[in-house]
Amino acid sequence: MTDRIVVVAEQEEGRIAPITLELLKTGAELSQHGGDAVCACIIGYGVGHLADELAYYVGEVYVIDDPLLSGFQADLYSSALEALCCTLAPRTVLMGHTYDSLELAPKLACKMGNDLVTDCVKIEREKGTGFLLCTKPIYGGNAVSVLELATAPQMVTVRPKVAEALEKGRTKGEIIPFCCELVSSMALTESLGLVPGEETVSLTQANAIVAGGRGVKTIEGIQQLQGLVEVLKRYFVKVELGASRPLVDEGLLSRSRQIGQTGEKVNPQLYIAVAISGAAQHMAGAGGSKKIVTINKDAGAAIFGASDYGIVGQYEDVVPAFIKKLATLS
Amino acid sequence: MKAPTIIVCIKAVPDPEGPRSAYEIHSDIKKVVPVGIPPVINPFDENALELAIQLKERWGGKVIALNMSEKAVIPILKKALSVGADELILVEDPSFQNLTSHATAQVLSAAIKKTEPFDLIVTGRQAADWDSGQVGLLIAGILNIPGINLVQRAELQDDKVIVEKLKRSGHEVVTAPLPALITVSSEMGALRLATLKAIQDAKRKPVTVWRAADLALDPAFLRTKAIRALTLPPSHSRTCLFIEGKSAVEKAENLALRLRKDRVI
Repeated sequence: MTDRIVVVAEQEEGRIAPITLELLKTGAELSQHGGDAVCACIIGYGVGHLADELAYYVGEVYVIDDPLLSGFQADLYSSALEALCCTLAPRTVLMGHTYDSLELAPKLACKMGNDLVTDCVKIEREKGTGFLLCTKPIYGGNAVSVLELATAPQMVTVRPKVAEALEKGRTKGEIIPFCCELVSSMALTESLGLVPGEETVSLTQANAIVAGGRGVKTIEGIQQLQGLVEVLKRYFVKVELGASRPLVDEGLLSRSRQIGQTGEKVNPQLYIAVAISGAAQHMAGAGGSKKIVTINKDAGAAIFGASDYGIVGQYEDVVPAFIKKLATLS
Repeated sequence: MKAPTIIVCIKAVPDPEGPRSAYEIHSDIKKVVPVGIPPVINPFDENALELAIQLKERWGGKVIALNMSEKAVIPILKKALSVGADELILVEDPSFQNLTSHATAQVLSAAIKKTEPFDLIVTGRQAADWDSGQVGLLIAGILNIPGINLVQRAELQDDKVIVEKLKRSGHEVVTAPLPALITVSSEMGALRLATLKAIQDAKRKPVTVWRAADLALDPAFLRTKAIRALTLPPSHSRTCLFIEGKSAVEKAENLALRLRKDRVI
């Protein structure tokens, strides 16, 4: 019997989330070396159309469709996955390192009694042993570890944007409804409602990002950065304002703008870092940018070493002049 | 709501604000050795502690800080007492070195069972050393109580906890009956500073030490991380072209011109 790699699919605004296609790519690459069959699992209520979509990427799509699963509830979702894992006995289970799966994965690991490695940036199958070797940044990205997972199911969460999306195939795989006994009492928590974010920001789609850091301490400073965002729209289709964690913790910008280890991972054409020191935790989110421009008054700031262009100076003086010049270049 | 007993799990980590050069990577012994940076209470655990103390201010009761390690960094951990925790329990044993998240959760769960009955367990969302983000939820699973991840706000009411749990965009309001466990994110807010009086008072608060033998622990649970390799991170290093000029204005103008010349814009 062929071993399986199960990719736990996620949905986002009623569609398959980008992370799922990345996990399918990771799964496909793993299977090339291990000979496993990659399959997907979609959990929810009324998710038949998503299963249809997924079937163009894999040979088997397991669908767990139940009214109790209409909204994400980690106890119920992990119970459903536990049932699937007990039936299929997969060798490996791939989940995204996303808000929901940060709760789902440990709960599943606890039920299965197995070890889980979170936030992996690379996974490989060791020849001979079949062990999963999981590369995971630690100490905020100041070091990198490779951890071994031996016992099946080997469970990991994979960081978004470390793999490309798998391309859609021409043939359609099999859709397999999976039934498991779910009762509402399995949910140990109750949702009282969702509160949407104050603003919709799509940092991951941006072509250019202006990001402010700890050194931007005032509303006036934020307004200057917004001015830079506006003028960059002459050059780029989609420009967003971003932030490192201190600005968000200070309440100057909303969490949806946070870039870094616990925020979004971005890869724009141009990343302008204003008064950001460049800690490993921030670069975990910004390091994939094509060109990085840094404006910082501290010539010794670590971020200059990770930048393509730099200005040593007070951003309050540099940014207005930069905006003015960008507005006049033809 | 009766006065609750709240347990906060705290861990000492090398200060995550330290520069990259402060983390010496010893690949041969597969260890990261911090150099020249002090240990601190894991920042997310400080957020957890702040929440616990706020709840105690509102409802009375008691906050117990709990730490597990191979060797406790006592002066750092005692900070918990000087900001408002009532007692500190150190679960300390050489055999607790390099444990997996699952094993860590087993030890902490055993320690929690040994303490008095509790209403709420609060942990940080992840520790700044291994960034695993699992131990809190695993404790909830082992103790078979509700576990809620990534909490930015929490309130107690009628033997329930009501929280705001982070979603990628916005949040979800979630409730669970007590006893329960929540993991806290930095959005909760920073830990207060200790007052001089509180630091004095802290000296009289109890510190208890338990060893592995004091806990009902199956040795088979003490799995260690199978670390195959430990290396320097891939370099983000780029060659920075410093834009010069006589003034900030001139530098800014030269930057715009250079970006145009290089077709970045």
